[in-house]
Amino acid sequence: MKKGKMFLLDIFNSLLPVLSAFGIGAIIIILIGGNPLTTYSIMFSKTLFNWNGFLKTLHFASPLILTGLAIAITFKANIFNMGVEGQLLVGGFFACVVGFYFEGLNPVVHVILGLLTGITCGMVFAFIPAILKAYFKVNEIVVTLMLNYAVIEILRILTQTIYRDPTSGYVSTPAVASSAMFYRIGGTRLTLFFPLTIIVFVIMYIIFKKSRLGYEVTAVGKNPEFAEASGMNIKRKIIYIMLISGALSGLAGAGYMFSEKFKYTLDFSGNPGLGWDGMLIALLGRHSPIGIIIAAIFYSALKTGGDIINIFTNVPKESVGVIQGLIILFISIRFINQNTKLFGNTMARFSTTKKKKNEEVQK
Amino acid sequence: MNFERIFYIMLSNSAPIILCVLGGNYAHKANVLNISLEGMMLVGAFASVFFVSVTESLLVGALVGIIITLVFGLIFAFMCVTQKGNPIIIGLAINLLAFSITAFLLKVLNTANLNVNNIVDVAGLKINIPLIKDIPFIGQIVSGHPLVTYISFIGIFIMWVIMYKTKFGIYVRVVGENEDAAYSVGINVNKIKYIAILIGAFCSALAGINLALEKMALFTNGMTAGIGFIALAAIFCGRGRPGLSSLYAILFGLAQSLSVNLNISAGPVSGLFKTLPYFVIVIILSVASIIQNKNNRMRGFKNE
Repeated sequence: MKKGKMFLLDIFNSLLPVLSAFGIGAIIIILIGGNPLTTYSIMFSKTLFNWNGFLKTLHFASPLILTGLAIAITFKANIFNMGVEGQLLVGGFFACVVGFYFEGLNPVVHVILGLLTGITCGMVFAFIPAILKAYFKVNEIVVTLMLNYAVIEILRILTQTIYRDPTSGYVSTPAVASSAMFYRIGGTRLTLFFPLTIIVFVIMYIIFKKSRLGYEVTAVGKNPEFAEASGMNIKRKIIYIMLISGALSGLAGAGYMFSEKFKYTLDFSGNPGLGWDGMLIALLGRHSPIGIIIAAIFYSALKTGGDIINIFTNVPKESVGVIQGLIILFISIRFINQNTKLFGNTMARFSTTKKKKNEEVQK
Repeated sequence: MNFERIFYIMLSNSAPIILCVLGGNYAHKANVLNISLEGMMLVGAFASVFFVSVTESLLVGALVGIIITLVFGLIFAFMCVTQKGNPIIIGLAINLLAFSITAFLLKVLNTANLNVNNIVDVAGLKINIPLIKDIPFIGQIVSGHPLVTYISFIGIFIMWVIMYKTKFGIYVRVVGENEDAAYSVGINVNKIKYIAILIGAFCSALAGINLALEKMALFTNGMTAGIGFIALAAIFCGRGRPGLSSLYAILFGLAQSLSVNLNISAGPVSGLFKTLPYFVIVIILSVASIIQNKNNRMRGFKNE
């Protein structure tokens, strides 16, 4: 009974911000002279209620599921890894380098090699803020954000100089060899990357629900002092979490490279990037695993829908970014109070722990 | 190497960082983690340039820019203080909103960037201080900045006075130190937090005006390029003290200025110097944290 009410509350608290954001989005669309109803209906009918469109949506949801997971895991431990974007870019870039550097490899070996490179690069890049946070208590938000800017610049230089494809008319690396491309399932847009994502997702789910590490991470997130006092090695846990997060981001980048982009361009991750989308997905999914998958598919529909309305209506696709920002803004507060009479009052104690957590974050 | 030019650009680049630092200090001291300085600066930059192009008046444009940024500050404060949302997530949302709204509006206006060069005379906005400008070396560095740059440096002193010599400053620090205690002695905690956040928004708007309107008379997508986060790092390093954190801000300005100047003299890999400020910040922040935690003999791991 209690669980049922909480579940309902969670659904409402995820749905209402989305609806409000779409409401404000509609006003903006009217203001620039578009029709919100046709815009939204085109957006969703072509991405969710059309078989090929839906497969395309799933295809684009794959990296989003991974980045959403990467961020949700760090949120669980009350760490804010804002570097998912950078880790994804590094992973994608070096996977691409592996992709075009080797030729004539067995496709299975080539893809696995590339993915492992991406994962390793993501982990190495996440290791810097992790070690600074764990041993020197350096604020991880600032470090990861700064490293993002630095890595974007470095990758830009690498793309423009050493790894530039001279035959290409614009700044990009050479395309990966055909042996490094993911197999497309039945001639659709969907590649083997999607099932791979689901497998990774299930593994993560088992680790975080059933294993000791998962329990300890939750404990660290809820109350680090208590976790330390009961004998957990918090520093090591922080590093583990960041490394897992980095690995997931790197995998997302590498997979996106091998399944969709095939070469590194300066707008590889889009704008706002896949890492930031992951932030929205983690928040929208309310840190629950199924929630993350639903949120990723929904957001993927929103994103691919953005490209579609760009073609079919006079509403620019940048409007999707505005809606995304609004959703995050609205989701930061609970629309329906825990003490609401709507579903009964079971969650009062949660509000106190959350408040305490907030205070700890700021200290 | 032209040292006059390096130091001139250092002061010029420090100004927006200092403004953000000065504004952000209050929220930091009031125990509100405001990571949305970046977004508010972007809003201030866009709104001021946009309204200058509409009204063709520098003053009106700047004022409207400040007001619109204050509205964003109010949204942040309402969500964070009244509704008790997570400030990090709200700050993130404001940053994202600022970025996407400005990109969206540029798209709607059908331009790649907003240029008001025909209305604002950038060279004419530079103020040459009499007497000082004739001093060799120093005159070249200190003189010839636009108004807001000077305001930012005077602001260090003003903000120091407000923080340490007024009742409001004490209230802010009490609220940050212990909210319940402040509540019990009758301080209106929410009001203090609101004002602290709004000061941050105001200063960020000034920083945006300085960056976009005064120096370039131009707005391009994402032109703040992480200055707000650099300011955040300076606040963390300086632990919310106006003087100390401004010093860090100037240091970061120097790193930026060096990267610009080395850029000119270096060859093909010149772009690498652009990453210099970001690495400098990470290193300085780490060193500052190590020093702060060196004498910490407290048992256990405290988050922050």
